Amino acid sequence: MQDTYSYIMLIGAALFNLLIFPGGLFALGLGVLFKGLDRKIEARLQRRVGPPVIQPIIDIIKLSGKEAMIPETAQRPLFQSAPLIGFIGMAVCAALLPIPGVSGGLPYMGDMLVYFYLLQLPAVALMIAGSSSSSPFGTLGFSREMTLMFAYEIPLLMIILAVAMKVGGSNFAEFSLMNIISYQEEHGQFITNWVMIPAFLAYLFFLPGTMGVPPFDIPEAETEIVEGPLLEYSGASLALFQLTSAIKNIVVLGFGVVIFFPMTLGGNIAVNILWFAFKCFVLMLISCTFIKSATGRFRIEQAFGFYLKIPAVLALISLVLVWFNF
Amino acid sequence: MSFLNNIATKSPWLFRINAGSCNGCDVELATTAFIPRFDVERLGCKYCGSPRHADIVLITGPLTLKIKDQVLKVWNEIPEPKVTVAVGICPISGGVFKGGHSIEGPIDRYLPVDVNVPGCPPRPQAIMEGILLAKEIWLKRIEEAERKGVRHVQIS
Amino acid sequence: MFKFLKVLVKNILQGPATEAFPLQPAKTPDRFRGRVTLNPDLCVGCGICSHVCSGDAIRIIPNEEKTGYHYTVWYNSCCLCGSCTYYCPTKAITMTNNWHNSHKQDDKFKMAEHHFIPYLKCDGCGAPIRLLPPHLATRIYAHSPVDIEKIIRLCPSCRQIATAERQGELNESNPE
Repeated sequence: MQDTYSYIMLIGAALFNLLIFPGGLFALGLGVLFKGLDRKIEARLQRRVGPPVIQPIIDIIKLSGKEAMIPETAQRPLFQSAPLIGFIGMAVCAALLPIPGVSGGLPYMGDMLVYFYLLQLPAVALMIAGSSSSSPFGTLGFSREMTLMFAYEIPLLMIILAVAMKVGGSNFAEFSLMNIISYQEEHGQFITNWVMIPAFLAYLFFLPGTMGVPPFDIPEAETEIVEGPLLEYSGASLALFQLTSAIKNIVVLGFGVVIFFPMTLGGNIAVNILWFAFKCFVLMLISCTFIKSATGRFRIEQAFGFYLKIPAVLALISLVLVWFNF
Repeated sequence: MSFLNNIATKSPWLFRINAGSCNGCDVELATTAFIPRFDVERLGCKYCGSPRHADIVLITGPLTLKIKDQVLKVWNEIPEPKVTVAVGICPISGGVFKGGHSIEGPIDRYLPVDVNVPGCPPRPQAIMEGILLAKEIWLKRIEEAERKGVRHVQIS
Repeated sequence: MFKFLKVLVKNILQGPATEAFPLQPAKTPDRFRGRVTLNPDLCVGCGICSHVCSGDAIRIIPNEEKTGYHYTVWYNSCCLCGSCTYYCPTKAITMTNNWHNSHKQDDKFKMAEHHFIPYLKCDGCGAPIRLLPPHLATRIYAHSPVDIEKIIRLCPSCRQIATAERQGELNESNPE
């Protein structure tokens, strides 16, 4: 009897995490709001007025009412399931996200390695979309997306290893996000620790790459390869891609906040949620909005070289320092 | 539903087709988007790269013989409901190229044009007026499609 | 390398430079080349505007009874070059700064300025003429003793005769 009850509780908690908080509605709402704020601030930085903050919501409402076209030559099952793959991956990712001082994410599952794999899914979805749409531009976008993914995964992996070894001591690595949070509560935030600052900088460089904003929007370059993998999508599928990227923003920003700066403000849940959102917003401002409003676009080999030269080296410095127990 | 439709028309995504234009009108279109003084993004507009994402099509140029088939092909790729805007005098009447041996235009011989924005080139503000007119027509189209129950998935 | 940050901060401080155009009327320069407009009183029907028009926007067609002509400017073909205003001898055709030309497809052929300009009869021979605009006549006959009020209502050949007669009269009354 006790067992059944606890199972029901567990499933209920998992569903709540997946559908309402921190995944589902919360992540969606916050992600869409961040997208709007991002566009608005970018416009202000360029001396424009910019669209209203709710513009991404309007876009999504409009797109879901449009006619959806499927090219005759496309691989239909793959073409139609690609947006779903990315969306589901990101929804699960958001459900796993622990919000410091508020919730621990899905019980027993908040793990950096899971994150490392799930974070690939939107990129993989874009690759599937590009290759199944049978458009030459889609294929080009596919190859660019893959190259870029390899480039930004290397620093991410080293950052994760550095954090895990720092928390677990030099003998074994600790990947659980909850343990990382509690470790930082005891030993101070990683952002104030000089050993981890190079890793944090590397994470700042990793963010625009994975969020696909200039100067790293190479796979979806609309002026070169007419939006690449998204070229053939219209209507609701395109709206799903937009939602995916909105949740992805929250996931990668929240992940950065959790592993580098999970400080809480007292025990009040509402305050902590706002504080978390504020930290994510500041991270987005620094790593995306400022850079994106002032830069053009890298070529793919430039981006690849950049990721191997600067963020990877920074992350490596942190990793080596942690290795030698500084 | 009319409430949702009203909201939807606040996000017109624009797509440019160059039907053999001299690039004067294209420059004015780019001006509306990229120069802070005009900032068409404030109206929710966005220039998109792919015809599949577009709602309002802006056609420039007198439709030359060589590009006619491609223009018609790209125009057919744009999902319904769409609104076609002819920018500049060339697509409307042929303009200064009227009667040339390689001119197939005016463009309304081949496509149902909805809004005309004459000028050589038109002022950016005039283009924005044209987009506002197109938005009204677009709202009517959406409501009409809803009444007829036209459904969405189409294989092309 | 961090020059762009300076620019961004400056931009934020200066605030948006966008005009509130669709909500408020846009600022238009006085000499902006917008629609052309015709003053039918001054038009003499010489046809130079239609001849120089690069967009073939101006049509001048006499009516069947030859009592006047139809003058049409179609804005949808006008490329706003201003040649007609430059070449018009009487400055009947001018450019306004009105650029509100966007219209729906139904109004495509209503976007025109149309005038029917009737001929007058020459006081001398009765041939169909247009009035010689007075401001032009004062310039042409500035050093001539002719009566401008009479001469503007004559056709060119009658005008030639009238001028010659007037000159003759003057010569007789004042031999030296």
